[in-house]
Amino acid sequence: MDTIDNIPAAETGTKPLGAARVGIGGPVGSGKTALIEQLLVHLAKRSISTAVITNDLVTAEDAERLRKGGAIDPARVLAVEAGACPHTVIREDPTLNIIAADQLDRLYRDLELTIIESGGDNLASTFSLDLVDWWIFVIDVAGGDDIPRKRGPGVLQCDLLVVNKVDLAPHVGVDLGRMLEEARSVRDGRPVVATNCRSGENVAAVADAIAEAVLVAR
Amino acid sequence: MNEDNAATILTALQHADSNFPSGSFAFSQGLEGLASLTGKRPGTDEITNFVREQIVHRWASSDRVALAHAYRAGDDLDRVAEIDEELDLSTFCETLREGSRRNGQALLATHVRFGTPGAASYRQRIDRDTATGTLPVVHALLWRRLGLAEEACVAMSGYGLVSSSLTAAVRLNFVGALTAQSMMPPLLSLVATYAGEPVAEDAEICGFNPFGEIAAMNQAGLALRLFSN
Ligand SMILES: Nc1nc2c(ncn2[C@@H]2O[C@H](COP(=O)(O)OP(=O)(O)OP(=O)(O)O)[C@@H](O)[C@H]2O)c(=O)[nH]1
Ligand SMILES: [Mg+2]
Repeated sequence: MDTIDNIPAAETGTKPLGAARVGIGGPVGSGKTALIEQLLVHLAKRSISTAVITNDLVTAEDAERLRKGGAIDPARVLAVEAGACPHTVIREDPTLNIIAADQLDRLYRDLELTIIESGGDNLASTFSLDLVDWWIFVIDVAGGDDIPRKRGPGVLQCDLLVVNKVDLAPHVGVDLGRMLEEARSVRDGRPVVATNCRSGENVAAVADAIAEAVLVAR
Repeated sequence: MNEDNAATILTALQHADSNFPSGSFAFSQGLEGLASLTGKRPGTDEITNFVREQIVHRWASSDRVALAHAYRAGDDLDRVAEIDEELDLSTFCETLREGSRRNGQALLATHVRFGTPGAASYRQRIDRDTATGTLPVVHALLWRRLGLAEEACVAMSGYGLVSSSLTAAVRLNFVGALTAQSMMPPLLSLVATYAGEPVAEDAEICGFNPFGEIAAMNQAGLALRLFSN
C-alpha cells in the first residue's frame, strides 16, 4: 500500500523543477499579448520549447488570440480565470497558475520556458517569486511619459521594463528619449527595453534578456 | 484556555483563512450565473438563499460526508481515493466538478511546497489519474495531518464555502463588503448545526442542489466570466 508517509523528497521544497517561469505584467492594453506573439517567433527560431498561460480577466480572448496566431501549438496555451482580480492570481494566491504551470511541465517533458501573462492591471501589479523566476513589466508610451516618474511597484521591481508602442511617441507628444532616461533612473540603471510590438522592433532584445536570465543557468 | 487549545485554534484559523493560498478566490459555485438566471442583480435575500441551498443540499449531504469518511480513512490512501472519486461523480455540473478538483489541487500544491505529510504522495496519485483531488477530500487528508479534529475540519470546510461565496458576491459587486459580513452569522450558524451532527459510518454521499447546478451551468455559458465556476 502506498501510505501517506511515503513522500518522494524531490517533490517537496519551495522551488519546483521543470521549465523556467517568466511573468509578463502591466496595465490594460500596454501590449503584453502582442509582445508574447512576437516573442514566440523568436523563441521558436531559437528552438526553445515554450508554453503560455494567460490570466484573462473576463474571457479567454488572449489565449484564443495566441492559439490562432500559429506561432505556438494551441495545446500549449492555457487560460486561467482570475476570479475578477488580476493581481490575486499572480501574487496573493498564485496556486491556480502554479498548478497550470505544473500541468504543462508534466505534459511536455521537453518544456524549457513557461510565459505567464497577467490580466491587465495597474502600476502596483507585481509577480510573486513563488510563481515566477523572473518577470517583465510592459508599459507603453501612449500611457504618458510620466509613468516612470510615478514609480509604481511594477515599474520599479520588475526584472525587465519594456516600454512599448514607441511608434506612437510622435503622435502622443512623448519625448521617448527622456521617458527612457527617467525609466532607467527610477530603476537605478536596471534594464529597460523600448519596443514596437506591431513591427517586432527590438523584441529580439527581450528574447535575449529572457534567455540570459533564466535559460542559460539551466 | 490552555496553550494546546490555543495552538489548535490558531492552526485552524491559519488554514481556514481566505488568505491561505488555495485558489478558492476564483470560484463562485455558480453565484456568477445567478444574475442572468433570475434576470436581475441578486441582493442579500437571493444570495443568502443561494448559499443556504449550497450548504443544505450540497455541502452538508455530500462535501461534509466525504470529508468525514476521508478523515476516518486516515493513512489508507486507496480508501481516500475511493471517497474522492465518489464525491467527484456525485456532482452533476461539469464546472462545479472541475472547480472542486482544481481548488483541491491548488491547495495541495501549496502543501506540497510546504512538505505537509501526505501532500506529495497524494499529488502523485492525481498525476497518475488514480485520485481525483476534490477539495473536501484534500481538506480531510491535509488538515488531519496538521492535528486538527474531524469536527474542526468539517467546520472549517463549511466556513470556507460561506466565506468564498460571499467574497465572490462582493467581487461581483452584488453586495458591499460590510453587507457581506453582516450576512455571515446566520449562514455560519447553519454550518454549525451540521458540524454538530456526527456523520454516520454508513452515510452516503448524495448532493442534489438543482438550482445551484442550473446557476452554475448558466455561468459556464456566459460570454463574459470572471470566475472559474
Ligand atoms: N501602435 C502600436 N500598437 C500596439 C503595439 N503593441 C500592441 N499594440 C496594440 O495595442 C492594443 C493592445 O495590445 P495587447 O497586446 O492586446 O495588449 P495587452 O497588454 O495584452 O492587453 P490586456 O491583456 O487586455 O491588458 C492592440 O490593438 C495592439 O495591436 C505597438 O508597439 N505599437
Ligand atoms: Mg493581453
